[in-house]
Amino acid sequence: MRIPCPYCGERDAHEFATLGDATLTRPDPAAADADAQFHDYVYLRDNPAGAHEEWWYHANGCRQWLRVARDTRTHAISGAVAARATEQASGEPA
Amino acid sequence: MADHSSHDPLAGIPFDRVPPSGRYGAAGEPGVTVSTTDTPFIALVVARNGFAASVAARLGRAFGVEVADRAGAAISAASTVVGTGPGRFLVLSTIEPDLEGTLRALLGAEAAVSEQSDASVAFNLTGEKVPDLLAKGALIDLDPRVFLPGHAATTVIAHIGVTLWRVHESGWRLLVARSFEASFTRFLVASGAEFGLALENGTAGRG
Amino acid sequence: MSAPNRNRLTSGGLIDRAKSLGFSFDGTSYQGYEGDTLASALLANGVRLVGRSFKYHRPRGIVAAGAEEPNALVELRSGARREPNTRATVTELYDGLVASSQNRWPSLAFDALSLNRFLSPFLGAGFYYKTFMWPAAFWEKLYEPIIRRAAGLGRAAEEADPDHYEKATAFCDLLVIGAGPAGLMAALTAARSGARVILADEDFLPGGGLNAEAGDIDRRPAPAFAAHVVAELTSLPNVRVMRRTTVFGVYDSGTYGALERVSDHLPEPLPFQPRQRLWRLIARRAVLAAGATERPIVFGGNDRPGVMLAGAVGTYVQRHAVLPGQKIALFANNDGAWREMLAAQAAGAPVETIIDVRAEVAPALVAAARAEGLRVLTGAQVIATAGKTLTGLTVATPSGTERIAADTLAVSGGWSPAVHLTCHHGGKPMWDAGLAAFVPGTCPPGLSVAGAARGIFGLGACLKDGAAMGAEAAEALGFTVPAPDVPEVADAAFALTPFWHVEGSKGPAFVDLQNDVTAKDVGIAHKEGFRSVELLKRYTTLGMATDQGRTSNVTGLAIMASLTGASIPETGTTIFRPPYTPVSLGALAGHHRGKDFRPVRLTPTHEWARAQGAVFIETGAWLRAQYFPRKGEKDWLETVSREVTAVRASVGLIDVSTFGKIDLQGADVGAFLDRVYINGFAGLAVGKARYGVMLREDGMVMDDGTTARLSPEHYVMTTTTANAAKVFQHLEFCLQVLWPELDVALSSVSEQWAQIALAGPRARDVLARVADGDVSNAALPFMGAIECTVMGGVKARLFRLSFSGELGYEIAVPARHGAALAAALMQAGEEFGITPYGIEALGVMRIEKGHVSGNELSGQTTAGDLGFGRMASTKKDYIGRVMAARPGLTDPERPCFVGFRPVDRSRRLRAGAHFLKLGAAPTLANDQGYMTSVAYSPHLRHWIGLGLIKRGPERLGERVRAYDPVRGEEIEVEICAPGFIDPEGVRLRG
Repeated sequence: MRIPCPYCGERDAHEFATLGDATLTRPDPAAADADAQFHDYVYLRDNPAGAHEEWWYHANGCRQWLRVARDTRTHAISGAVAARATEQASGEPA
Repeated sequence: MADHSSHDPLAGIPFDRVPPSGRYGAAGEPGVTVSTTDTPFIALVVARNGFAASVAARLGRAFGVEVADRAGAAISAASTVVGTGPGRFLVLSTIEPDLEGTLRALLGAEAAVSEQSDASVAFNLTGEKVPDLLAKGALIDLDPRVFLPGHAATTVIAHIGVTLWRVHESGWRLLVARSFEASFTRFLVASGAEFGLALENGTAGRG
Repeated sequence: MSAPNRNRLTSGGLIDRAKSLGFSFDGTSYQGYEGDTLASALLANGVRLVGRSFKYHRPRGIVAAGAEEPNALVELRSGARREPNTRATVTELYDGLVASSQNRWPSLAFDALSLNRFLSPFLGAGFYYKTFMWPAAFWEKLYEPIIRRAAGLGRAAEEADPDHYEKATAFCDLLVIGAGPAGLMAALTAARSGARVILADEDFLPGGGLNAEAGDIDRRPAPAFAAHVVAELTSLPNVRVMRRTTVFGVYDSGTYGALERVSDHLPEPLPFQPRQRLWRLIARRAVLAAGATERPIVFGGNDRPGVMLAGAVGTYVQRHAVLPGQKIALFANNDGAWREMLAAQAAGAPVETIIDVRAEVAPALVAAARAEGLRVLTGAQVIATAGKTLTGLTVATPSGTERIAADTLAVSGGWSPAVHLTCHHGGKPMWDAGLAAFVPGTCPPGLSVAGAARGIFGLGACLKDGAAMGAEAAEALGFTVPAPDVPEVADAAFALTPFWHVEGSKGPAFVDLQNDVTAKDVGIAHKEGFRSVELLKRYTTLGMATDQGRTSNVTGLAIMASLTGASIPETGTTIFRPPYTPVSLGALAGHHRGKDFRPVRLTPTHEWARAQGAVFIETGAWLRAQYFPRKGEKDWLETVSREVTAVRASVGLIDVSTFGKIDLQGADVGAFLDRVYINGFAGLAVGKARYGVMLREDGMVMDDGTTARLSPEHYVMTTTTANAAKVFQHLEFCLQVLWPELDVALSSVSEQWAQIALAGPRARDVLARVADGDVSNAALPFMGAIECTVMGGVKARLFRLSFSGELGYEIAVPARHGAALAAALMQAGEEFGITPYGIEALGVMRIEKGHVSGNELSGQTTAGDLGFGRMASTKKDYIGRVMAARPGLTDPERPCFVGFRPVDRSRRLRAGAHFLKLGAAPTLANDQGYMTSVAYSPHLRHWIGLGLIKRGPERLGERVRAYDPVRGEEIEVEICAPGFIDPEGVRLRG
């Protein structure tokens, strides 16, 4: 599998470490139900057949965490963006 | 030089020792020449949030080269600036003894600077067969018609992390973490033997 | 030597008669020519019996002329280079080749185990499952040895492979798989557009079917046309022609696996050449032009040596100028086979009879055959064969049964496109009723199929299709493709009537020759309900082993379909998976074998330690000094005890460069550390270091280490050796994903700094002699961290830290000065008897001191379990805090960290022993925890241990059993506080 790293170009998946679901957001630890929310965040995963977004770390490359759009059925990768780029793009507080 | 009686170019060389200088493999004009050096001065510059472009520009001005925030090597007579990641630049100099201090002064609060002069061993590879040799360990396209002088990549070769760039038409430079020097040299010798490989081990006797 | 090349034509063929090659088979010497395969050379010498079958030890001959060969498997070479199951049909002949037949005993001609055929009622479909079920003990002692003796293929070499293998990667715009007519035209068309093209072909002579083609193309003989195209391709800088290279697998994102047999055609590799090279080919597009495989018709006695595929007969005649026999008959259901035989006859092959199952055959074809003097039997079927090697046939014709003399029977049941690679992403082939063949279904992305591989069987059409597919692929990639220049070849019409199995024929009718699966076995599978193709395959072994059913799959399916009454597409086909042909393990390993299995990392003091007599041990990728034995020491324990004693009494040193070292700079580092460590760091003063514990988000301990603040915005963190990469990745995740707003820049400085730990009451005295500045207790107090110089100007960082429990320092210098620092410390410490120690002594001292290490940081322990509960800040959030508060992780019943000592101090403790209350039965329910680490303490002169036991800290002084059923030991131990030495830490602060 080859991942199109926005900095390094297309690279073999051997250069990356994967962490899984990139659609999760770390819950607010101060929330009243933080324990329940963290339980879901740490353990509960959808297992979609099809389009999925995953975190991949380019360990043997630019050391960016990438949000990779991958089809779990075909391994087709439709794109990858750096975590920092998506944070900035989504306008979250900097 | 070692007398390699067997067809194993590494016969008799302990796996935990850097293979000694000498000729390995096929006789005749070597297809690849490898020399290792301790590049005198290396530092890593990591731009702080939002300063990548400014840091690139400052480095370019200071070292008299075109530096952009991308995987490329900007090369001048005494220094090279290599992009290894967004806002990350390896700066190599043959003349700046206090490279870290110089860079801190140059970049101030825009970047973090760390001394890296001893972190890696530089392998200088020359010869027509360099791309063929590296293709035995690399997973990136090093075809000389694609990977041009000034192109750089941080990647993995033979399971060892490297930052490499093409210095000129037939010259390539690879930075390899110091602890991997012996293993990486073994890979080069084993893979370059069919072309004939000359090794000038500039770090021999160290350690 | 027998009459050399008695079956060789005097002219023609793509062999070099001037280059005679000597070889031997089963000890007999023969001669062949350059351009021969082992199979063609054997046939040229009249050798027709080449092996014994898998189960029944039946005599077998050469069936095919390519990779699909099911029978002619030989052992090639001898000694360490002996290679079993080599297909003679693709083995390029070389001078001095040594081959022997397999699976025969005592000899090929007389095989005692051919008696197995009388056992065939037991060895039929599902025999593994039926015969050997009971009693269970018989399997290992009786059945398996017998089966291994009786059934099977060749023998692997017993010595290590002396040859070198390697791996390589190449990139291209277009990969063309197969250099037959379609592949050559695809490659040429794309290459002329400027695209980077790789043309891979498994043969040593590119050209595919063109090399066995009798006609002309473009006013050249077909093989010369192929050579001409190959020459043009080879001359182009943007083309790489890879001969002897089989593309065996299609992987994700345009990655193809290929095996190049660099030296298999030589007695041994040339100096410094690999035997084989495994290629990873990365292609933006690919054209599969792998051709098609002929399939046989199944009839009684169809495994007799002399029964061959018709196309193979043609190939041996045209390409190798070899006559497979002197009386050749054809048994077919299609026109193509007729034309093949007519061409062979024209080249000098004695073809005498054509037997066709079809009642009606094109009159022109029949006339052409008769004009050449051939006897034509239509509506006829071969029902039996005779001879040890073939001597005659029994043929059922509309007018009765007759015997026909023949020493070679060419068989053709049609052609199966080589769709294998199209299935590697899960695509299913589709049935084409017109062709009576499976053609490619959904292909892997970027792969298109050209020529016979997609069911286009005419030569002229294949040339056109190849050019079109090459042009399409190149254009899709943005290249401007000049109008293809395709030679015109007129194709005869395709005419075939599906026919699979001669029912009611005599003798076993083999579907899968390699696995000895007969039509009857398919019937048994049907009767017993194993009707799905996947079950059929596993139950009967149809389509398994080296040929993966190239010549048998479709026929097996068709027979099953006829039994179930379903159609062939309804019956389906098994899934083809990589590899297409066998790949040696050596090629998959490449350079990475033996000590080069994976890279090793050497510490900056490695050579220095070697000079000190160190014994090294692998710890992860690192090679570290384990201990430093001296003359006269009887075992490692004596050495390690001496090292520990020397440190505790005076001073010692150890290389700790393997720790992960992470440089953190920025305005928010303190805040960041607060979020990743359980304890507070924001208040850490400049010039100070602090021990910290990190959790994973699930609340378990991830790692521990120290972080020092060198200046207001500059910190340096150490991690454990094992977790260095993991922690860096975790911190990057936190910064890039969780908190991108924080101003923190990370850099790994692990390789930049050599770090040596100096420990013992004399440590400061030694350090003072090496450091350039003041290292007094006032200048560098416990947990102090300063930047300075040592050895007269070498930049250094000094940390006053201790893992051993003694007065200790860690001295970091740029890595190239590491060995010099070790030598300087040795010199400075000479008068104190300074002792280098290894990681064993380090381990003993940390156990004596009660520090946790890798055995305790197992990923299943919480901070509370390890006694760090009170370290955890309650004033801030940090990774893992919320989940660490879960009831299960704060349960007071959890096993917690304490020390253990044997009640009988002479007893040895064992790590891994489980704790049981005195008198409790050794059951899971009674399990109290386990011993994580043990050591012999030279200080206490008995074994000590660390471990996790329920409510440990509340039970100090209690006695429990340490139960070790693995070693059959059981020891009574006493629970104690984990610090066995200087629990107040006086030594550290001294």
